Amino acid sequence: MNWLIRHAMCAMMPGGGTLPGLTAEEAHAYAQRVRAESDWLYSLGLCLGAVMFAITPIITLLIPLPSFLLPARLLDRHAERVVGHRSYLIKQAVFLVRLNAGMCWGASAHNRSALAQPAYPDDPGTYRTD
Amino acid sequence: MPSRNHIAFQERGENVELDVDYVVVGSGAGGAAAAVTLARGGSSVLIAEAGPWRDPEDYPSSVYGTMRDMMDSWGATFTRGRAFWPIVQARLVGGTTVINSAICVRTPGDIFEQWKLEHGIGGDEMAREIWEIQEAIESDLHASVVPEESRGRHNILAKKGGDGLGIDSHYMTRYVRDCEGRGQCLQGCRAGRKQSTNLNLIPEVLERGGHVLSCAPVEKIVFEGARAVGVSGRFSHPQNHARGGSFRVRARRGVVIAASVTRSPNLLAASGVESKALGEKFRAHPGAPIFGSYEDPVDMSRGATQGWASMAYRTEPGLKLETLSLPLDMVAGRLPGAGALLMERLEEFRHLAIFVQATRAETAGRVRPGALGRTNVRYTLDTKDMHRFREGMYRVAQVHIEAGARSVLPCITGLPYRLGPDEIHLINEGPLDPRAYVAILSHLFGGCVMGADPARSVCDGNGRVHGRTGLYVADGSVIPTNLGVNPQSTIMGLAVFFAQRMLDDETSANAA
Ligand SMILES: Cc1cc2nc3c(=O)[nH]c(=O)nc-3n(C[C@H](O)[C@H](O)[C@H](O)COP(=O)(O)OP(=O)(O)OC[C@H]3O[C@@H](n4cnc5c(N)ncnc54)[C@H](O)[C@@H]3O)c2cc1C
Ligand code: SF4
Repeated sequence: MNWLIRHAMCAMMPGGGTLPGLTAEEAHAYAQRVRAESDWLYSLGLCLGAVMFAITPIITLLIPLPSFLLPARLLDRHAERVVGHRSYLIKQAVFLVRLNAGMCWGASAHNRSALAQPAYPDDPGTYRTD
Repeated sequence: MPSRNHIAFQERGENVELDVDYVVVGSGAGGAAAAVTLARGGSSVLIAEAGPWRDPEDYPSSVYGTMRDMMDSWGATFTRGRAFWPIVQARLVGGTTVINSAICVRTPGDIFEQWKLEHGIGGDEMAREIWEIQEAIESDLHASVVPEESRGRHNILAKKGGDGLGIDSHYMTRYVRDCEGRGQCLQGCRAGRKQSTNLNLIPEVLERGGHVLSCAPVEKIVFEGARAVGVSGRFSHPQNHARGGSFRVRARRGVVIAASVTRSPNLLAASGVESKALGEKFRAHPGAPIFGSYEDPVDMSRGATQGWASMAYRTEPGLKLETLSLPLDMVAGRLPGAGALLMERLEEFRHLAIFVQATRAETAGRVRPGALGRTNVRYTLDTKDMHRFREGMYRVAQVHIEAGARSVLPCITGLPYRLGPDEIHLINEGPLDPRAYVAILSHLFGGCVMGADPARSVCDGNGRVHGRTGLYVADGSVIPTNLGVNPQSTIMGLAVFFAQRMLDDETSANAA
């Protein structure tokens, strides 16, 4: 499932333009982490969003292929159309993928520096134990 | 500073039993204010908080870390209705005050009149007392106007826009001591400037001999007959959510529920409190942003997160306008579009400023227990409120244009991505379907509303749950209407007001 989340996230934020895109490594590490750390509903929503992204080229492009078999140009068109689809359910399902792609991309020091944002220190995840 | 009076997660088999005068469930705006008042009155107090205790050095920086470490249910609570709008609340010591913008606005006088008229509580006497309490809280929490050097360009632009439109607007007063303008309030102020209750009131409760149980979600209120005598639950690990040892707190004098609008009604229901009003009259100020694109960089992460506001439209049509800065990792997930188009849109990030509107919505929804400990909130804005909401979007766009924005990004389905200064009227002609907007709900009211009539309310005007003794509610859930202003001050004012009544009742009982 992680590879499907990674695929959908990278399609949301591709490279090739002025700004660096989300790399497969970043997205994969993120997918692993979020599925290990998040609560079950959040994780389920993200998986369903990735599945929805994969199966909807038939709706957005009228092409009976899963998104991961699309060439780059069509994949980009699919990503754009699916997040703005007029079916609220489809749009909301992939919204979580897009949100997470943005969270992953925008927290990376490399991408932040491209927009003159300071790097984030690590999130310590600590708390008082006494 | 570690304290022997703080008990965090305990493993299975390590059970905790304590006896106090009052147990307070929840440590946010309401819970902390009630607890410190009771402690100052000489009572022994224990706060049971579902989430962990994190100090500023534990706070995350990223949005991911904020959702993981601070949010209730990973921020995945949302309205069930026509649109799925996120309901944002925190789950840690300090509650939502840790992740809010600390904006301080006293309860407007018309609210007390409305409560009197519609719910048989409030009125002038309550108003006078609450305002006095609010003044004292402002002093405790170092409320101050955003200092000039921390305003940041986005707040200054908004003021220019407000002034240009000729509407009343101001730099805000916030519970912040010497703001550094790091624009990070929503992830918790790592500089420790924001006076969230984990840094200010709760430490005083400990100093006065009180206790805090963190990672301690209360599952049941314990009753003896109609009298609430304590609470029970099991520790929950803050990372893997494993259930740990049990805790049981006996409260000699009272149990105060302050677990928030989405949690308090369900806790009462799970504990056997029956009332037709339970979970009803849920209200909110749904809010949504409009991005403005400016010629020169705005760099909204420099300056106070929310430093400017206008209340010019509070009464008619019922709106509050504010600035908001969001970090790159939130904006990247929030701007419309995907793929190469989104990447292109992000190039202008540094030139974006965000102004938001919060709608004083009249629509009432309901809070109910959901599966596996979650909460269901049914809520869909009615057409009248959607008109208000849409007008709010237009007013915000007006402020941007007046401030000199070259265009605005309305983020409304069905409208173009970018509108020029001559096109913002399209927002006012935009959709009235809530699904066209990505709003969030952060100001919440109701679910355990106060009122004189037990058939229409859960508690009375002193926070006492009808039909029970020793059981009080002291958080946003008691508020029976919307406010049209940010709620923290009102919630704290009411919580202190209720706690003072508890102490007075004790004094009279002792005298008798
Ligand atoms: C992003 C954001 C920004 C905001 N900005 C402002 C602002 O600038 N000014 C303002 O006035 N208001 C603001 N608000 C709103 C304000 O913060 C809340 O209205 C206020 O904190 C609510 O107080 P409360 O006591 O009802 O609940 P909370 O502060 O949410 O506290 C409830 C606490 O109870 C705990 N709890 C829940 N269930 C249990 C249980 N079973 N057992 C034990 N503990 C439990 C929770 O973990 C939580 O810590 C903002 C809100 C958000 C989300
Ligand atoms: S703006 Fe920054 S320094 Fe000021 S209170 Fe918020 S997080 Fe703290």
